[in-house]
Amino acid sequence: MTSISSLPASSAPSTTTTTTTTAQDTYIFSPIYSFPPFFTLQPNPITRSSQLQSWSAHIQSYCRAHRLFSISLIDALPTPLFTNATLSRALSLRDAKAVVHWMSTKDGGNRAEWTGRKGDVEAAETEGGRAWIYWRRPEEWAQVIEDWVDRTGQRGTVLTLYEVTESDATRREEFWGMEGELLQRCLGVCVKKGKAQIFGGEGSEGVKFF
Amino acid sequence: MGNTNSAHKISAQDKAILDMKNQRDKLHQYQKRITVLTTREKEIAKECLANGDTTRAKLALRRKKYQESLLAKTDAQLAQLEQLTSDVEFALVQKDVLYGLQQGTSVLKAIHTEMGGIENVEKLMGESEEARAYQEEISQMLANNMSNQDEDEVEDELEALEAEVNGVALPDAPAKQPEFTTEEKAQMAKARAQRRARERAAEQASQPMLA
Repeated sequence: MTSISSLPASSAPSTTTTTTTTAQDTYIFSPIYSFPPFFTLQPNPITRSSQLQSWSAHIQSYCRAHRLFSISLIDALPTPLFTNATLSRALSLRDAKAVVHWMSTKDGGNRAEWTGRKGDVEAAETEGGRAWIYWRRPEEWAQVIEDWVDRTGQRGTVLTLYEVTESDATRREEFWGMEGELLQRCLGVCVKKGKAQIFGGEGSEGVKFF
Repeated sequence: MGNTNSAHKISAQDKAILDMKNQRDKLHQYQKRITVLTTREKEIAKECLANGDTTRAKLALRRKKYQESLLAKTDAQLAQLEQLTSDVEFALVQKDVLYGLQQGTSVLKAIHTEMGGIENVEKLMGESEEARAYQEEISQMLANNMSNQDEDEVEDELEALEAEVNGVALPDAPAKQPEFTTEEKAQMAKARAQRRARERAAEQASQPMLA
């Protein structure tokens, strides 16, 4: 495809300045997105690590702008996230897996996590399955939700989980539309800190912040 | 999980409120579903009209109408449910306020009993009044016991202190040599001679004692 050396190592910092807009149509891709070699993982370790970093930043900012909390690699491959139609370049499934895998490691800042049970990580990977994209990690989300509860004076009131992520009251919040499983995980962080308590039956859980 | 430590934080009321809120959420979801259905019926009606099938279009519109009436009913129910929920929540707040008032009152009462009631306060006030009168008497007596002489001494001391504080005005030192008349000079010479003679005599008197 393209020569390896043509990917400048200095291109990594430029991706951190990606513009994040909430409107889907006006999402501005980082400049590296229009750089053809970006779509082929480079074998050179140094170039590769900087490229992975760029990909991680790109995926996070894209998911943030489009309010995606998890992606299914198979479904996401043909979307603009992995495919640049103007360049007619796309990341292969194998490379996309490698990127997400790298994001899920410590090097990648734990910015992704394969869904499914802990033991089934490999199964999830081989299935090309779903992964959480943590443009905010659960503990960061926990803080955001706590701040929201504080700001709206809802300490001590009972909230349903549905209410937190689906109701009109939170439509403007960043966690609106979050999947229930991820929400449970975030609230679990609050519970561990003793700031909240989850109760109620399966599927109709409520949470109370203290 | 039966975490005993945190379980007590969730009261029966909380569970009841959660149940109501869950019902509300279910109604919300139901409304969403109905809204989706009505828009679909409308589309169906449009399609049927475009195909010239008026009866089916009418049927679809009738279904839509029925679903809209359902929507209105759920709206009323939702309002009722929400009102009940906020009533319960407000009652809880009232309970908290009442509890706070109770606490405050009991604290106030405890402080009052510590002070020993109104009689005690009256007694104390009387005693303090008496003590003040007594003190007044003592000062009066002390002031009257001062004799005239004492007063004078006091005044003198005050003057001395004042002089000390303000500094005594000393006369200026003479600026020129003293001028003596011949008479004075003779007198001074005589005085000097006398003094010397006295000194010599004293010296002689002390000599044998030393020897």
